[in-house]
Parts: sequence; C-alpha cells; structure tokens
Amino acid sequence: VPCVSSGLPKPTNITFLSINMKNILQWNPPEGLHGAEITYTVQYFIYGQKKWLNKSECRNIHRTYCDLSDETSDYEHQYYAKVKAIWGMNCSKWAETGRFYPFLETQIGPPEVALTTDEKSISIVLTAPEKWKKNPEESSISMQQIYSNLKYNVSIYNTKSNRTWSQCVTNHTLVLSWLEPDTVYCVLVESLVPGPARLTRPSEKQCVSTLKDQTSELKVK
Amino acid sequence: GQEFRFGPCRVEGVVLQELWEAFWDMKDVVQAQDNVTSVRLLRKEILQNVSEAESCYFIHSLLKFYLNTIFKNYHAKAVKFRILRSFSTLANNFAVIMSKLRPRQENEMFSISENARRRFLLFQGAFKQLDREAALTKAFGEMDILLTWMQKFYQ
Repeated sequence: VPCVSSGLPKPTNITFLSINMKNILQWNPPEGLHGAEITYTVQYFIYGQKKWLNKSECRNIHRTYCDLSDETSDYEHQYYAKVKAIWGMNCSKWAETGRFYPFLETQIGPPEVALTTDEKSISIVLTAPEKWKKNPEESSISMQQIYSNLKYNVSIYNTKSNRTWSQCVTNHTLVLSWLEPDTVYCVLVESLVPGPARLTRPSEKQCVSTLKDQTSELKVK
Repeated sequence: GQEFRFGPCRVEGVVLQELWEAFWDMKDVVQAQDNVTSVRLLRKEILQNVSEAESCYFIHSLLKFYLNTIFKNYHAKAVKFRILRSFSTLANNFAVIMSKLRPRQENEMFSISENARRRFLLFQGAFKQLDREAALTKAFGEMDILLTWMQKFYQ
C-alpha cells in the first residue's frame, strides 16, 4: 500500500561517499523524529536517461545508507539518487543528491606500500589501489587503468632529526638515497589525480630502520 | 609546464587545474538549475574514441560554440547566480585555447574533419532540440564532462 506524502520531514545531508568507485549513498534521519520507527526507500537516476529506478535492497530499510556501487559502476555516467522517509502510512517528500560524477568525485584510496632497507637507502614499491568490484572472483581493475595520470605523494619522516619531506612520483618504484644509517624512517603515501580537489586517504604510516653502517663497525673491531 | 596536445595542435599557457577549480566552485549552483535531467548533451558516444587527429577539429568547434553561444548568452545568469568569477575564468581560458588552435585545412584532412564535425553536430542538434534557456543551463552544467574529456589531452 503506497504511503501518503504528508508533512513528514525529509531525510537530510544526502550524499555519496565514494572510495575507489565503491559508491555508498548516505543520509541523516529527518529532524525532530527521534525514537520514531522510520524506514527509508531509495531510488537512483542515470543522467540523460528517462526514469528513476528502484534499488530493491533499499526499500523500507531502517539503516541510513545504501550501497549503489553496482548501479553506478559506469563511472563515465553521472547520477542522481533520492531517499524518502516512511513512518507508518506517512512518507516525506524525496530528498535528492546533486549530480554525482564518480569519475571526478571518487576518493582514490592509498596504494599498497612495500619497503626494503639498506644502510643508506630505502626502496619503496607502490601498488595502485583496485576499483570496487561486485564479486571477489571478478578480475581486478586497477585505479591506474582508469586514471592513467595517477600520481603518488610520498611523505618521509626522519624520526632522529624530526625532519619530514615529500616527493611526488608517477612510477611505482622509488629509492630514497643518502639516508642516515641505523635510523628509523616513517613513510606515508597518498594517491593523487589531476582534476577537481578530492579528499585523499593516506596509507598507514610504515616505519623501518636503515641498517647499521658496516664500515664503522669494521673499524671498531 | 604542461600543455594541451590535441593531435597536431599544441596549446601552452593554460593551467587546467584553475579551470577545474572555477567550475567546481559553481557546480552545485549551476547543475541545480538544470531540470531536464533526461537529456545529456555531451553523451558518452559523442566523446568516445575521438582520434588524436580529430581532436583538434572537435575541440575547436566545441569551444567556438561554448564561447559564441553559451557563454555569450549565459552572462546574465552568471551575474544573477553570483558566479561571475568562475564564469570569467572559464570563458577567458576557453578563448585563449581557441585562439591557439590551428586545425589544418588541407584536403587530405577532409574526412577527419568531417568525422569531428558529425560529432559536434550531434551535440549541437541535441542542444537545439531543447528550450533555449534550458539548453544554455544544461550545456553550462556539463562543463565537467567537457573538462574531463580535455584532461586526457593535457600533458
């Protein structure tokens, strides 16, 4: 039985949270209805096409988010989504997102970072993050394949001197040379693509120590 | 520094990041005015598989149309929506790019330029099918699609 569009307030702050093309629609409950048994229904729309489409898994749901990754997986299209609140027989008007363009708006997750050390150098190997995929069995698509101009901002912190510096690199391997032996360095990497400013998600900080200086060890003997 | 390379056409002196920032500052305001969401002017099939050789002809036609039709007639709206700074940044940079494009006119380029022209006419045809004001608003709001396509030629 369809609900009656009444004065029920709309959900608020409806936005897409998008990371590596995993596109989650999220919203806040309507204001002033704390404790009420509210459910929500979601629809989405492909810009340039004709109809709003249902997302069956997000009909009459209690949670305040809905995974639309599959429905918005063609990142060259643009999308709208909307959600309405339902309470008993009453429902709110639709609350709608702005035009969502995954290609320009998805956050690019951090690369995988592998570090190996030497006396005075650290080798860094970066692996680009993967695009969201529906099934684990599907073949992976690297975000590098989508963004050929993907770059990385590598930040390096010398724990002994408290000095931090960073380098912007395009390839996947980087050797930090002229480092101090027997010193702990911490590395943190962000993925960057040209275009509109996007939130970035830095990698976990990784710390490694350069090896002791073998030559000074020999002299001591 | 970086430059546009639309096939043989090279354009230096334009910082694409500034165009992005200008558009992004007004994106929500501009796109919210577009109520004809069932129509997309710069459709995927128009922008897909544009050859390098074609790209100079195509971008020249598009920018000429944007400057002579869209920017020219959207100015009053830009004032009304208080987005004049973004509007000017984009208009001036489009004018600079267009002034530096030199699509070759030799006979052997005719078939390539015709391909590009067909693409442009698909865009222009969709534009003309809409109400004038709605079309201006829609084209202005689709500059993120245009800039995304241009980004591929920016190195």
